[in-house]
Amino acid sequence: MSETQILGESIIIRMVVGMLYPFMVLLGFYVIVNGHYTPGGGFQGGSVLATLFVARYVVFPVDDTDSERLHTIQRLFLMLILVVPTALLFTGVVTRYPALRGPYLTLMDLLIGIQVGFGLGVAVLRFAFFQGVGKTWHL
Amino acid sequence: MIEVGTLILMGVFAALAIHSPLIRLSVIYLAVFSLLAAFLYVLFAAPELAIAEAVIGSGLVTLLYLAALKRSHVYTIGVVTTSNVVTTRNVVMHSGLVSDRYAERIERSKAVQEIRDFFIRREFETQLVFLTVPTGQALLDPAYDLVLAEDGEDLVVYTDEESYVMVELELVFQMHDSMSKVKFIRYSPEAVL
Repeated sequence: MSETQILGESIIIRMVVGMLYPFMVLLGFYVIVNGHYTPGGGFQGGSVLATLFVARYVVFPVDDTDSERLHTIQRLFLMLILVVPTALLFTGVVTRYPALRGPYLTLMDLLIGIQVGFGLGVAVLRFAFFQGVGKTWHL
Repeated sequence: MIEVGTLILMGVFAALAIHSPLIRLSVIYLAVFSLLAAFLYVLFAAPELAIAEAVIGSGLVTLLYLAALKRSHVYTIGVVTTSNVVTTRNVVMHSGLVSDRYAERIERSKAVQEIRDFFIRREFETQLVFLTVPTGQALLDPAYDLVLAEDGEDLVVYTDEESYVMVELELVFQMHDSMSKVKFIRYSPEAVL
């Protein structure tokens, strides 16, 4: 797809996605942060955040994101998901102070949400921009 | 009551997705199916699943399908059905429409199968379109990438002379030594005009 074709994408889609974008971020973080006492949680909010990458792809399908870096961020958060419970749960901090339970769950939801968001986003982007194994087709 | 209605609608959209002629349409039907499933989860008091289903089922997966669909190319082969090849065994035209028997015979013929295999090896889906217009008009139509016509026993393949894929196709037929059945005619769109 050439550059001119991208700029020729429907202006309605561009405007609507542009207007919805902040609300998608808001909804994603709302679902994540309130996950421990309302429906939702890390995975659901993370998938809402992943749709941000998808929305960007719909409006502007250019492969200019460094998916390797996004993948690294995702792996970093995956490591944190393992480290934080080890540090807080197994040392008995959360069980000793009941006031910490809410913040602990919110923190875990946030970590899971961001990890899932980046993970799904990278998966979708890699799939969408996959060019085959070094071949292009021309007719 | 609402649950039953939603379930029936889900069944309807599932059937539509299977039987719709266009893959693009099937993808949209699947998205609607997914949305109904999310609604059903809400009715069955599983809102967490409903959120996940709505976001992933009708959001991410639909886009993945559409992205995959954008990549698949469909190669349209026009088959010119001229009325002068009517034989006693195979009636080509039946009240202005191409008869099923004729279409089946063309589709099952060895040459068409070989053309199909050739394009499948290059990851192209092929579709046959039977035309009731004269050959010259079919050649001018940019919708058809390849035009086939029957000339007695032979099958004539009209190919664009600028397309190098057709050179490969011709070579494949020469290697399989079935050239006697298939004739290649190369044309340039300007010359037809």
